[in-house]
Amino acid sequence: MNAAIGYAAILAVAAVTVFIGFYGLRVSRTTGDFYVASRTVRPWWNASAIGGEYLSAASFLGVAGLILLTGIGGVWFPIGYAAGYLMLLLFVAAPLRRSGAYTIPDFTEARLDSVAARRVTSVLVIVIGWFYIVPQLQGAALTVRITTGLPSWVGSVAVAVIVAGVVAAGGMRSITFVQAFQFWLKLTALAVPAVALLLLIGGGSVSPELVAAEAFPASAGPGALDWYRTVSLMVALLLGTLGLPHVLVRFYTNPDGPAARRTTVIVLGLLSVFYLFPTVFGLMGRAFAPDLAVPGEADALILVLPDRLVPGPIGQLLTALVIAGAFAAFLSTSSGLVVSLAGVISQDLLGGSVRGFRAAALVSSLVPLAVALATDSAGLAGSVGLVFAFTASTLCPVLLLGIWWRGLTARGAIAGMATGAVLSGAAILGGGALGAALPAIRAALEQPAAWTVPIAVAVTVLVSKGDRRGVPRSTDAFLRRLHAPEDLRRATDA
Amino acid sequence: MTDADAPNPGDPDAAVPTSDTDAPPARVRVTAPRPGAASVARAGARPASSDVQAVYLRSLIRSQLRLGLVCAAGFVFATTLFVAAIVLTPALDEAFVAGVPVSWLLIGFGIYPLGLTIGGLYVRAASRNEARYRSLVEGS
Repeated sequence: MNAAIGYAAILAVAAVTVFIGFYGLRVSRTTGDFYVASRTVRPWWNASAIGGEYLSAASFLGVAGLILLTGIGGVWFPIGYAAGYLMLLLFVAAPLRRSGAYTIPDFTEARLDSVAARRVTSVLVIVIGWFYIVPQLQGAALTVRITTGLPSWVGSVAVAVIVAGVVAAGGMRSITFVQAFQFWLKLTALAVPAVALLLLIGGGSVSPELVAAEAFPASAGPGALDWYRTVSLMVALLLGTLGLPHVLVRFYTNPDGPAARRTTVIVLGLLSVFYLFPTVFGLMGRAFAPDLAVPGEADALILVLPDRLVPGPIGQLLTALVIAGAFAAFLSTSSGLVVSLAGVISQDLLGGSVRGFRAAALVSSLVPLAVALATDSAGLAGSVGLVFAFTASTLCPVLLLGIWWRGLTARGAIAGMATGAVLSGAAILGGGALGAALPAIRAALEQPAAWTVPIAVAVTVLVSKGDRRGVPRSTDAFLRRLHAPEDLRRATDA
Repeated sequence: MTDADAPNPGDPDAAVPTSDTDAPPARVRVTAPRPGAASVARAGARPASSDVQAVYLRSLIRSQLRLGLVCAAGFVFATTLFVAAIVLTPALDEAFVAGVPVSWLLIGFGIYPLGLTIGGLYVRAASRNEARYRSLVEGS
């Protein structure tokens, strides 16, 4: 691969990101601007920004890699990533916007009237955010290594530094512009090469190395579905989306509840269109690049395929586009996460000032950088999937029950979050070793959400039921705030 | 429901958008509410008793929750049915479009429209629930 193309594409995306970030600096001055863009972002902008933030390394590179590696079963990842927004729409979007809180810990504290519950939530948000940033940095490492030949660490460091700088300088309003821009960049960067390659293949200028029966065997087809793993993965992805810190913070920028719903439907549409293309790439990869189906290398499929199918200037142009899109994915997801982490850290530890936000932005990007440099990627889609399982087992029960059940108490919430964190954390960290020793429960350890989420919900409900006096007096007023249309609110419901 | 929900003319917070007190009720959009800050009061509307208000609100929450659960169950059920039908129809593995088995294409691309349809229906139904609540509250 021509390294000059890699350099050019990466530098261009970085330059545009920094430019838009600093342009945003001029319009964001107050603390409110910094945190949630003053809640005046329109649905289409907001939806593009949510899509831009959400489509990470796992979506851009990981999905195609997984389809190449494991077959059509890999498509459950994008389906789950998209359908998570359906769940968000059905249960969270409008009430969360109406809650008037800035972050998930703000929500927990206001709903449960408990500083302890807030602290636990904050710790979880920070852990989830850090572990979500790690695969982004690993994706950047892979992209830089494949496309420029530089050592892997250069990619991770470059993304961490750019993100910390832009977030610390501009806050969230500039990030909204950056994210919205990057959604469309990512979509173009996959759609144009995918369509171009399909046209070239259809025109007969490229012919597959494999016959269909070899490229798409029944053993990797729909009939080979592992029901437990698929169901558990879907539980993790559908419910995990509800608790992702960088997704939730984005909802506070909608003007009101109905706008939050409209935004979410638009996001669902944008994601549904986007995910067609990684799937197309994955299928093309099975036919044209079966040699890449090696763990660790498969994630590079999208970066390598255009040049391989159409050598020459067109292939190089398409490659440049894909690299730019991939870099946009790492930058946008990482910066979204850093914004929400910095919001939580600065509000809880540093008094919520603008200077505290900047310091927190640095910390939020450097810790995951250290982890990314110290560990190897085990498949981008898979690592992100595990973060979803952890989120679904910890933040999701509290969020859902907090919105829909007036019996939730702070003790119940803390007990549920702790249980979910211990169970799913143990399964994720110890699952590899334990699964080898006990093959019978290996699937249950590798895809834990199907049992950890129900247990976390049950613990939350049971402890809350045993703690009836712990139901905060403000519950009814707060639920009114969450569910009644904005114009029918009473003055005292805050 | 606590007294906190009863509109209280003596409450200084209730009078915050003062221009609304005598004029016909105007809709005010809250642009930056914070927990603890005063939010919008519709001081001009004549409210029902707080008990009735509480019943209306609970029925709104219940109907929104029911709607959400029905939509989620519908999505899960339709997806399961779709996948089962594909798995149980081996002929789809043998038919090819552009060199790819139809069963692969259906799983890969067929589920998104399902979610999108349900999402669109939900938004309309949820707004209807809110409109019903509004007419109850304003009519009483």
